Formats: sequence, structure tokens, C-alpha cells
Amino acid sequence: MADYKGVDFYRFSRNLSDEERSVRDTVRQFVENRFMPQVRQHFKAGTFPTELIGELGSLGLLGSSIKGPGCPGLSGTMYGIICEELERGDSGLRSFASVQGSLVMWPIANYGTEEQKERWLPDLAAGKKVGCFGLTEANHGSDPGGMETRAARDGDDWIINGSKLWITNANLADVAMVWARTEKGVSGFLVERGMEGFSTNPIHGKYSLRASDTGELVFDDVRVPDSNRLPDAIGLKAPLNCLNQARYGIAWGVVGAAADCYDTALRYAGEREQFGKPIASFQLVQQKLVHMLTEITKAQGLCLQMGRLKDDGINPTPIVSLAKRNNVAMALDCARTARDILGAAGITDEFSPGRHMVNLESVITYEGTHDVHTLIVGADITGIPAFR
Amino acid sequence: MKIAVCVKQVPDSETRINLAAPAAELDQSGFTRVLNPYDAYAVEEAIKIKEAGAEIEVTAITIGPDTVKETLKKDCLAVGCDKAVIINDPALDGADESALATVLTAALGRDSYDLILFGIKAIDDDSGQIGIMVAEKMGLPHVSTITHLEMAEGSLTAHREIEGGKEVVTASLPAVLTCQKGLNEPRLPSLPNIMKAGMKPMETLTCADLGIEVPASLVEIKLYSPPPSRAECKLVEAEEPAAAAKELARLLHEEAKVI
Repeated sequence: MADYKGVDFYRFSRNLSDEERSVRDTVRQFVENRFMPQVRQHFKAGTFPTELIGELGSLGLLGSSIKGPGCPGLSGTMYGIICEELERGDSGLRSFASVQGSLVMWPIANYGTEEQKERWLPDLAAGKKVGCFGLTEANHGSDPGGMETRAARDGDDWIINGSKLWITNANLADVAMVWARTEKGVSGFLVERGMEGFSTNPIHGKYSLRASDTGELVFDDVRVPDSNRLPDAIGLKAPLNCLNQARYGIAWGVVGAAADCYDTALRYAGEREQFGKPIASFQLVQQKLVHMLTEITKAQGLCLQMGRLKDDGINPTPIVSLAKRNNVAMALDCARTARDILGAAGITDEFSPGRHMVNLESVITYEGTHDVHTLIVGADITGIPAFR
Repeated sequence: MKIAVCVKQVPDSETRINLAAPAAELDQSGFTRVLNPYDAYAVEEAIKIKEAGAEIEVTAITIGPDTVKETLKKDCLAVGCDKAVIINDPALDGADESALATVLTAALGRDSYDLILFGIKAIDDDSGQIGIMVAEKMGLPHVSTITHLEMAEGSLTAHREIEGGKEVVTASLPAVLTCQKGLNEPRLPSLPNIMKAGMKPMETLTCADLGIEVPASLVEIKLYSPPPSRAECKLVEAEEPAAAAKELARLLHEEAKVI
């Protein structure tokens, strides 16, 4: 099958700078040459291609828009473009970059001390160290304010007890950005692999995000020095701000997954013959393809405007929520439609839409479910929060 | 040491070509343009030599319109070339290999390069002549179609692909090489380097800036379209020749209206 060339019906690439197009083409080539040849195998085995982590780092794909020591320092729009190209490969690949960049490096860069930044950011940006983000718990998903993990002061240290679930990169991580309740509210701690009482467990039997590491973090009287606490992360607002960064990347990323589904379905429909002609010649198939292209094009417009706003310093939660909500649901719909066009072939791993489809079932749930984002936008426009 | 890499921007090999009308000019407005893939081997080899040595400067040189800048930045400057020279002269539109080699010779003559690298050919016109022509015009030794290169003090050893085997050639510097697939694996630029590439020097020149007349082209490319297809042939079938003749006469009279 010919190389993926992207979907750009409305010529959005004309609105990109030379550098933005070069970033897009470079990441696209990396995904095509290095990731695509092995994605099926990793998805089947339930593993993340860890040998690519160093390459992700040396290309500048980790924490790409973060300003800090050793960080690439690209624009927000470029971060979005990177996510779109990575997720065209697989949501698991984009999830790795989202967690490392937006959920680990971003809080260190924004809430950490100079020492913490110097110690962690260069290695995380280079892919020499891996991070994960622990907010969600078994009993507290959409309502993280109910978290049960506690951190208690003990001299110069903190003692952390509790557990976190559904954590991307849990078992790969050298450092966990952990959110725990203290007497003064929620605080963030850098818990390091090897600290006594800290362990991680993989989650088995996933249908979705199989080419991604997911697990549980367990804290059993883990002693963490106060120097590992992020001093400027005060209250639940801090982790929620991290999530806003990550959701921004998701809103872009899923457009890549949708475009890959559309591209695959379009090619298949042109080659597959029934009743003596390509199925692309049937009105119902054309309707499906046009519907996908229309929705992808609308989502691309949303992303580009959201990126330009972010680069102007405007990145409020409701704007990101609307895009995450719309684009993930759109991508899931595209994946299902593409699977339908592919017929029986669509249920095998020879084609990507089935894999994107089951991945997107996670993406529509994590980092704020579809419904929660509905209510965030609802609260913003009416002034009445429905979830309190 | 100074290395020059002569590169060309070409249409992506998967570009869809639309001919609006049978005799129309090729509409190139929607083309995606990329670095000629063989030139990427030349760039990578120059960067590898630069990384292995000290005080080596790599200059990328191209002939083309303003749109080549994006390719030069991403595929030459962002991967490690130090500067770029663009010869952008509308009078060179449609110039043949000989004319372009003359222009490149003038551009290369502005500095003293120890090594001049080309791809073996460009994938658009597939001619594979310019590198060797430049070597001849400059009076330099050349080795074409190389798949392996070793540099030494004042000389080089290159392996070149020949039918059924390889040839090992030693040449003194300065020399011209054309690079074949298999020589190396071109790297991707890192994204921070893409951002920095725009700050590297990029010079745009015309033939007049090079102090030469626009060289005359000996080859002219003309566009021919296939002739319009002929109308379908109608075969008169009948058992008896007389019946066939009668039917033919009727068709000539009633349908073709010529008798």
C-alpha cells in the first residue's frame, strides 16, 4: 500500500509555516518508517515499542512545546501537529508522548523548583527517562477530588499511602507524577522508581490501547523527601491544568487516527469490486466517505484555530473540552464507518481502522469522558455546573 | 575542508498529475515537492564526513524557484548543512542539463570545495547527467554511482556499483561523486533543528550575480498528446458477398451519407 499522505481537503497546509509543514512531514516519515512496520506485532503482544523512546526524544517529540532546560521549545500548534501524526500511527504512541510531555514534563516545568527542572526535564525530553501521571484511582475517575491517596508530613519527608489505576506508562516509568491529598489539599509529588514501598503492576486483558503500557501504582508507606514535592502545585487545579494540556494534544491527535481510517477506507473502496465495479462507485459508500471527510475537515479547522489561540496565550478549558469532545467522538465514528466499508477485512489486523476503533474507546473515556466535557462546556455557557 | 552538495527539489513520486486538457501545460500548482531522494544520500554522506572530522563546512547548492527554500531548510540545513545557495533565475526555466551544469560550475567556482556531492540522478527527469558534466567542466575527477566512501588525507576511496559487481576507485581531491542508494541511511531532522535551520545563511543568486550569461539550452522539451481516438469500426457481416455489398451501400448512403 502506498505511503500515507495525510488528508487536507481544505488546504490547511497553506496556513502552516514552512517549519510547521517540515515538522509534520518529519513526524509523518518517522511514524511511517519506524513505527508502522511494528505496530501490529506490538498491538498483538500488548507491548509498547520501548526501543523507539530514545528516537522520540532525539527528534524532539517529547515535551515538544515545553519551555525548560533541554526541552525542544516548539509552539503549541507544532505540538498539536506532532500529536496528529503520532496518533495516525496509533493512539498508544500519542498517549506515550502526551503523558511524558503534558502530564509529567509540563507540571515540572510549571510547578517545579529549578533543581527539579534541571534534574528531570533534560532526561525526560531526551527519552532517557520515562514518566507517568497518577491522578485517577479505582474509585475516583471523573471526580478526582474524592481521591483517597494520602500524603502525611513526617519531618522533612512525606509518607504516601494509596494507589492509582489506569496509569499510562506505569510500568515503564522511572518517575511518577503523583497527586495525593495532604492536610492542606491536593499536592503533587515526584515518586521515583526504587523508592521503598512504591510498586507498579500491569493491567492485563485490555481490548484497547494494547500497544501502550497501562498499570497500577501502589504506595505502601512510601517515604518521599519534600524536595520531590512540586511547591507551586496547590490544589486540584494543578493536575486539572495538566490535563488541559494533554486534552489539547488529544483533540489534535485523534484527527490523525480519523484521517488514517478515512485514507484506508478510501483506498480500499477504490480497489474492492462488487457487482463488477469498485464499491467506491456506490452511492452509499460515497456518502460514508464524504461524511468522514467532512467531519475530519471540520475537526482540522477547530484544531488549527485552537492552536493559534494557544500560541497567543489563550487556552481555556472549555475551548479545549469542546474540541476533545467533538474530535474524539468524530474519530470513533470514522473508525466504525471505515471498518464498515472494509467489510469482513475490517475485522482483521491487516487494516488499521479496527485497531483505531478499539483504541478510541479508551480515548473517549480518558482525560475527561465525553460526558464530562459536555458538562464542562455546559457549565461554561450557562454558568450552572451540572456536576456539583 | 569544504564540501558542496548539489541538490534538486522534485515532485513527490506519488503526486497526482492532472492534465486539464489534451494539449495543456502540466499543472504543477498542486504538486508536493520534496528533496530528490538520491540527493538525500549525498547530504547524509556530507554530514557524516563533517561529523567525523573537524572544521568541515557543508554548503547545499540548488537551482530553482523560491519554493525550494522549504526543502533546503528541512532536508539540508536542519540535518546539518551549514549554509545554502539558491540560483533562482527565471531565465533558466526549461534549461537543459548542459546549461544547468554550466550554472552550477559557476556557482561552485565561487569557493574552493574539496568534495562535491550529487545524487546519481533526479527522479523527475531521470537524466543522471549533471554531476558528471560538472566534473568535466571543472576538470575534476569523478566517481559515479557510489555505494561506499572512505576519506583519507587528500584522497578518497569509493565503491561504485557496476553490473554484476563493484568497482573500487581511488581519486585525489578535489573530486566529484554521485551517490547511489545503499551508501547510507539518511537521517530525519530533529524538530528543534528545523526551527534553527531558518537562521542559517541562505543566499539567493541569479546568473548575473554569478557573472555569467544565461547559458543556451541545446535540448527543447515539447509536449505531445496522443491523437484523438478514432471512431469505432463497423464490420459488415453477411453470408453472401452480394448481401454484404448491399448492406455496405445502405450504410454508406443512410448512415455515413457519403453516397
